[in-house]
Amino acid sequence: MITQMKIRGLMFDPYNNSYIVLLRCEETQDMLPIWVGKPEASAISFALEGLSTPRPMTHDLMKLLIDSVDAKVLSANITDLKDNTYYAKIHIAYGDSFFSIDARPSDAIAFAIRTEAPIFASDDVIQKHDAEEVDRWLENLKPEDFGKYEV
Amino acid sequence: MVQLKVHGVLADPNTDTQIVVLREDEGTEILPIWVGSAEGHAIRLAMDGVVPPRPTSHDLLNGISQHLGLDVTQVVVTDISNNTYYASIYVKANGSEHTIDARPSDAIAFALRVPCPIYATDDVMKRRAGEKLDAWLEKLDPQNFGKYEA
Repeated sequence: MITQMKIRGLMFDPYNNSYIVLLRCEETQDMLPIWVGKPEASAISFALEGLSTPRPMTHDLMKLLIDSVDAKVLSANITDLKDNTYYAKIHIAYGDSFFSIDARPSDAIAFAIRTEAPIFASDDVIQKHDAEEVDRWLENLKPEDFGKYEV
Repeated sequence: MVQLKVHGVLADPNTDTQIVVLREDEGTEILPIWVGSAEGHAIRLAMDGVVPPRPTSHDLLNGISQHLGLDVTQVVVTDISNNTYYASIYVKANGSEHTIDARPSDAIAFALRVPCPIYATDDVMKRRAGEKLDAWLEKLDPQNFGKYEA
């Protein structure tokens, strides 16, 4: 089973010096935090804010590439969690066929926002991540940490 | 047009950017291009033939291109305007040809993974920073090139 996730926010994690994309299921309120690097976080924040940069960024280039041949991104799926690493797959339709490609969730999310494709997480992944630990961690966060990316 | 090879990627000690040094395939002229640290890193990985455990953004770009069956024929650094370099990626798909606008950093990181040749227009080679640049490069410590010197 898979669940559709919405991007709840993007914030800086000062403890790990990295960024967290917070995904949330609208129905169940399940949260799925995904740690991403700085360049991917900025790629996601640009897209969330609808900012267009003067020159195409790397994920814009991916979109230009698939647009050039009229391919379409169907969805980005967070498929697995192994040894603290999340795995994702991007599903793309091209002509009469479709294919799935392995990606980091950060790239999959940055690409999905630009192509207006839905983001899903497998229930397995949602269950696997230690909910309690995250909840505790989130409680300690100050609302300001969400900053302007809170949606 | 002249064909270029990636000669090295070095850190610019004055800014938080990196410099990709392109060099004429048959000649000694160089074309340095300032890129962000993420893109510089992506170019280094490809030069060193490092395959990271998870696909980087440019690996994903190349993977998508391969799945789509695209024939990436060349990338060209086409223009300089207000200190910004412009590049085009040439792609053939199902008999038709497409030209995709890109930053040179992405175009180079992509070209190394495809792999496909990298060119610059004669105009770009003429209008690059020229003598000022040579002076700048001379001042650089060779050690800055580090292990990425090719």
